[in-house]
Amino acid sequence: MPVDHRRIRGPDESFSPRLFLPSGSAKCAAAEDRRSGDGARGNMDVRAIFARCGLVSQAKGSAYIEAGNTKVICSVYGPRETERRDETEMKRGKLLADVRLAPFSCRKRGQWIQGTEEKDLSQFLLESLRPGVLLQKYPRSQIEVCVMVLENDGAFLAHAVTCASLALADAGIEMYDVVMGCAARRSGDAVLLDPTFAEEHDEHPSPSGKESRLTLALMPAMNQVSGLQAEGEMDAESLVEAARACMEGCYKLYPVVQQTLLKSVRKKAPPPES
Amino acid sequence: MAAGFKTAEPLEYHRSFLKENCRPDGRELGEFRATTLNIGSILTAEGSALVKIGNTTVICGIKTELASPTVDGPTKGYVVPNVELPSLCSSRFRSGPPGEQAQAASQFIADVIESSEVIQTEDLCVEKGKLCWVLYCDIVCLDYDGNLLDACIIALLAALKNTQLPEVMINSETEQPVVDLEKKRPLKVHRHPVGSSFAVFDKTILIVDPTAEEESLSTGLMTVVMDEEGRMCCLHKPGGTALSGEKLQDCVSRAVARHTEVRKLIDKVLESMKMDT
Amino acid sequence: MAEEASHTFLRQFGCEQSLLSKPDGSASYFQGDTNVLSGVYGPAEVKVSKEIYDRATLEVLIQPKVGLPSVRERAREQCVRETCEAVLLSTLHPRSSLTLILQVIHDDGSLLSCCLNAACMALMDAGLPMSCLFCGITCSISVDGQIITDPTAEQEKESRALMTFAIDSAQKGVLMATTKGSFSVTELQECIAVSQKASERIFQFYRDSVFRRYSKIL
Repeated sequence: MPVDHRRIRGPDESFSPRLFLPSGSAKCAAAEDRRSGDGARGNMDVRAIFARCGLVSQAKGSAYIEAGNTKVICSVYGPRETERRDETEMKRGKLLADVRLAPFSCRKRGQWIQGTEEKDLSQFLLESLRPGVLLQKYPRSQIEVCVMVLENDGAFLAHAVTCASLALADAGIEMYDVVMGCAARRSGDAVLLDPTFAEEHDEHPSPSGKESRLTLALMPAMNQVSGLQAEGEMDAESLVEAARACMEGCYKLYPVVQQTLLKSVRKKAPPPES
Repeated sequence: MAAGFKTAEPLEYHRSFLKENCRPDGRELGEFRATTLNIGSILTAEGSALVKIGNTTVICGIKTELASPTVDGPTKGYVVPNVELPSLCSSRFRSGPPGEQAQAASQFIADVIESSEVIQTEDLCVEKGKLCWVLYCDIVCLDYDGNLLDACIIALLAALKNTQLPEVMINSETEQPVVDLEKKRPLKVHRHPVGSSFAVFDKTILIVDPTAEEESLSTGLMTVVMDEEGRMCCLHKPGGTALSGEKLQDCVSRAVARHTEVRKLIDKVLESMKMDT
Repeated sequence: MAEEASHTFLRQFGCEQSLLSKPDGSASYFQGDTNVLSGVYGPAEVKVSKEIYDRATLEVLIQPKVGLPSVRERAREQCVRETCEAVLLSTLHPRSSLTLILQVIHDDGSLLSCCLNAACMALMDAGLPMSCLFCGITCSISVDGQIITDPTAEQEKESRALMTFAIDSAQKGVLMATTKGSFSVTELQECIAVSQKASERIFQFYRDSVFRRYSKIL
């Protein structure tokens, strides 16, 4: 294993205390079905989100989203001159995305060194955002999107997409529409929209054994899907069903995002007093 | 007009304020920015704290893991602090491995932990020579507007005070540890180090709690870390203009006053958290 | 050489300049068994990304005796670099690069101060313009409260607090300070006073060595 010389090192090996839980106390399944109990959200409900723009003073635009306990912060820098001359595109701008998970964001401590997983996440974010941005308006420049996941309580990638497009809008980057993200988990026949971490990692698989996860990015104004990532076993029909569920989830959150943007614009340029 | 002057001649712009004993953001020379604290907001971490000093925002999350102690210190655990300055927090940082500033900050925090004995590593021992706790203290800057070190120390201290260690027993038959997540004990924090940072302008004017712009225009920076007994845990001046003894004395007395302020803030936030539960 | 008061005791120190042929300036500085070799390159061409329009870009690299440089070395590099930047008249060489490389030959305590001294000697050897000279002094406070200057590795280990200062030759002011362990304010002031006193001997040594060197050439 490569040694990181740029960070303070701990012991060579350490283990999460969760590995040593007494065998009897298996974690109780969080949800086979959410409908149990009052006030619990239904299978097709998304978590209420809290969103704010313009929290990072140094960035051109920034946004913060909290959905349940999932917390994501994003800042946008640019448009500015491309760093590497040889990669300069003359006709359109370049979008760069960087997704990082803070080491304390998951149950098990993560490493700082960016793994392949984070690179995949960055790639998905980049590809979901790109169709929404009018890159032809920014020739020979680059726009950087930096996302930091502070706490992962499920569906963080979907919220990262929403957060990133909020930050892009806050930075004044021209876009066709805000790209919304939503995730779903299918276990057997049930679809759980916007799953929590416990629901994503349910240790009691459904009897049918079909487990799958889906993350979808949507531009609501045009009703176009800009990103779709699915993993696990699922047939064509259920994929479409899950995708539709995600799209509905996006539409539910769309007004909240619009309100957030309106609020931040009003704050930046208060309407003239008449 | 003022905006143009500020961009074209930033140093002159700042000087014109300093001449009148005030600063562009309206502060006096010896005034800290408003400091706010939020403790325990990250549930996936065993302890966490978010600190804001003006615009500068820093979050510290502590994860605990089990490991075997070193041969040299069989009764000692580990504290592993790291400061991260991701590209998110300012355009001056690139993504990728930490740069010099982040590494120097990590080393500074590690020195403060060691010098102040905020945590006694013996407290982290579970069984001598076999098992101990590792505290991974990851400090992430979310918004960089100067005075990173002060914010990091406050975040670290508050997060340590928020940290709960689950109970661990060693099963005598299998010699394997058994963790009980239900029973938790708070981590013992022995000392309360608090830092105060200063910047020197034009080799003579001393200002406290510099912003990012003030930091880059100043001719020298200094951080003084005090504990509650008025002892210094760390004096960090990585170069820059020379300081006389009297100036240093001045900084120390300001650092003592700042210590009381921050201690009060942390206690107040912890108290309000207790009231809630 | 007779030692004055016991608390400003410095181990035997010495320096050899211009011992390397490739760098523009080089020095090997020893204090007791601690030994650091330094080389300076520059002013030379600078990478566009590191270019500063109104002054030279200084880079400091510290190579440990074994292994690769880690976070500790990076923190020391920052201290040495900012100290050098404070005295170097880098505005005379805008848009150029200065590189200072410090190779640790042996560490027997007071390493950072030895690095600083080696750096200053190498900068002098390279003939770079400086507003004044600087030297590094390490003090340790033992468990019984005694101040020891220029401690060995063993004395460092036994000490309660350890401080390293960079002192400038013009005003005897503190350019750089870094400490370990806890101490009172009075102790700090005492240590600074002791270091300032001890610095006189090092500056005298600097002067003598320059005098010796140039009296031969001229």
